[in-house]
Amino acid sequence: MIAIQRPRPGAGNAAPADEQSVSTDDAVRIQGLTKRFGALRAVDALSLDIRRGETVALLGPNGAGKTTTVSMLLGLLAPDGGTVSVLGMPPAAAIQRGRIGAMLQDGSLMPGVRVAELLDYALSLAATPLARERLIATAGLAGLERRRVDRLSGGQTQRVRFALAIAGQPDVLVLDEPTAAMDVEARHEFWASMRQYTAAGRTVLFATHYLEEAEAFASRVVIIAHGRIVADGTVAELKRGAGSRTVRFRAGDGMGDGTQPGVLDDLPGVYVAERQGEYVTLKTSDADATVRALAAGSLDWRDLEVRTANLDDVFLSLVGNDAHNTNGGH
Amino acid sequence: MTGYLRLQVLSALRDPRYIMLAIVAPIGFYLLFSALFGQETGAGGIQTQTALIVSMAVFGAMWAVLSATGPRIAQERSVGWLRQLQLLPVSAAAILTGRLLAALLIAGPAIVLVLLTGVIAHGVSLEAWRWLALLAVLWIGVVPVGALGMVIGYAADSEVAFGLVYGLYMVLAALGGLWMPMSILPSGLQTIGKLLPSYRAADLGWRILAGRTIDFSSVLILLAWTVVCALLALAFSRRTARSH
Repeated sequence: MIAIQRPRPGAGNAAPADEQSVSTDDAVRIQGLTKRFGALRAVDALSLDIRRGETVALLGPNGAGKTTTVSMLLGLLAPDGGTVSVLGMPPAAAIQRGRIGAMLQDGSLMPGVRVAELLDYALSLAATPLARERLIATAGLAGLERRRVDRLSGGQTQRVRFALAIAGQPDVLVLDEPTAAMDVEARHEFWASMRQYTAAGRTVLFATHYLEEAEAFASRVVIIAHGRIVADGTVAELKRGAGSRTVRFRAGDGMGDGTQPGVLDDLPGVYVAERQGEYVTLKTSDADATVRALAAGSLDWRDLEVRTANLDDVFLSLVGNDAHNTNGGH
Repeated sequence: MTGYLRLQVLSALRDPRYIMLAIVAPIGFYLLFSALFGQETGAGGIQTQTALIVSMAVFGAMWAVLSATGPRIAQERSVGWLRQLQLLPVSAAAILTGRLLAALLIAGPAIVLVLLTGVIAHGVSLEAWRWLALLAVLWIGVVPVGALGMVIGYAADSEVAFGLVYGLYMVLAALGGLWMPMSILPSGLQTIGKLLPSYRAADLGWRILAGRTIDFSSVLILLAWTVVCALLALAFSRRTARSH
């Protein structure tokens, strides 16, 4: 397991004092958050600070504790231990002041009302409402205003829920698996809307199990498994931290059928050598040295490629293979 | 508060069952019962066709407030809407008040239209102040029924809420003396019936028709129902907000 402690940008050398001081730069401050369901520790002493302006992906397999964490962050679920503050206040207060907006993973809308009526209601509650036209455009709801909300498709419902979350222009936006019910096209549209919204420097935390969404939209990725943070950093940092690159080639006839463990393992940088059929895969902490040694050596190889670890590899190395068995065939 | 009230009213009026059960059915029953027994003189010396405007107005108004609370809240809970509502900058008290007021608002047409039917079909006539007093007591009289609907909405699952509310509605109407005079019920049921908000709301109205003084025990009983149900609804709504 690799735990990467990301240095907080701008915190510099003054870090020690940071523990106690209430930093106004913190949008979200979670300390020692714990939630038990029977014997299961769904969230286990989780601490996380999110600075203003960050877009953070909360990544983890199903059952990792993402939704439970988000529910406590929003004050929908009482923690068994630990504290949560949003912009220096309890979650419920932040919601009542319209400082935090959220979109939950599921949930239908109020039966019997039209899209425009619901949006107008959300706008009427807001201290700093978004312009109506802008809200409709940003959420991609043009042409649906007169539609009854109980007669929308899953993707359209999701867009209305997104509109409700951003109607008051909250400083902090929390999205739990926002694209779970969407097809590929709808997901692209959704993230395009999100980009527009976050361009204004707002703080966003989104839970997802789509690695590519985390990679494409988050400035910081927090990976959780079994209710704990196992990695925290930018995508680049996580990849570096995972350390590895992969060197892959086809074994020529001269290499023989055996895996030749001694030879491959002894190459500089290599810590795992695997052979499947004619393909040899080397995991190396120093791809340059490995390739030089291969080139200089007498091994018979062809079609060599060097690949950077992707977030998938990082994720797998951190949360193990059970992740991919449970995340819906992604 | 007015925002959610507006949404509730719009949504309730679009429910086809509202028109059928809160407006059409009571008017239909009024015309039927008044044709059958209208000329008789009931307790308190009022003609049945006159007394029936109160019975059927309460009958329709009760459905309006019950349907706007019980099944609706249960449905909003089960589909996850109430949870999303918790994420908007609106207080739980504003939601609860908005709901109750919305329920009363849609009870208005149910009351007024039955009274109007009495005037048109049977020439029921009263002094203006008596009409106004009648309207006021009937309207206020169904407040506890709305509070009761809210208790069911927050306490019962959405699958059973409609049936439960409908069953309760029938019991409140039958034992409350809205379909037949209380005096023909067995005495045990009369005792129960006289404690029901349906009977007490109607009794306030019948007394106005008969020119008798207000029975303050009715006011107290209605108040007790309102307070108890409101507190229960509040408790159940808090439980809903925390769990799930």
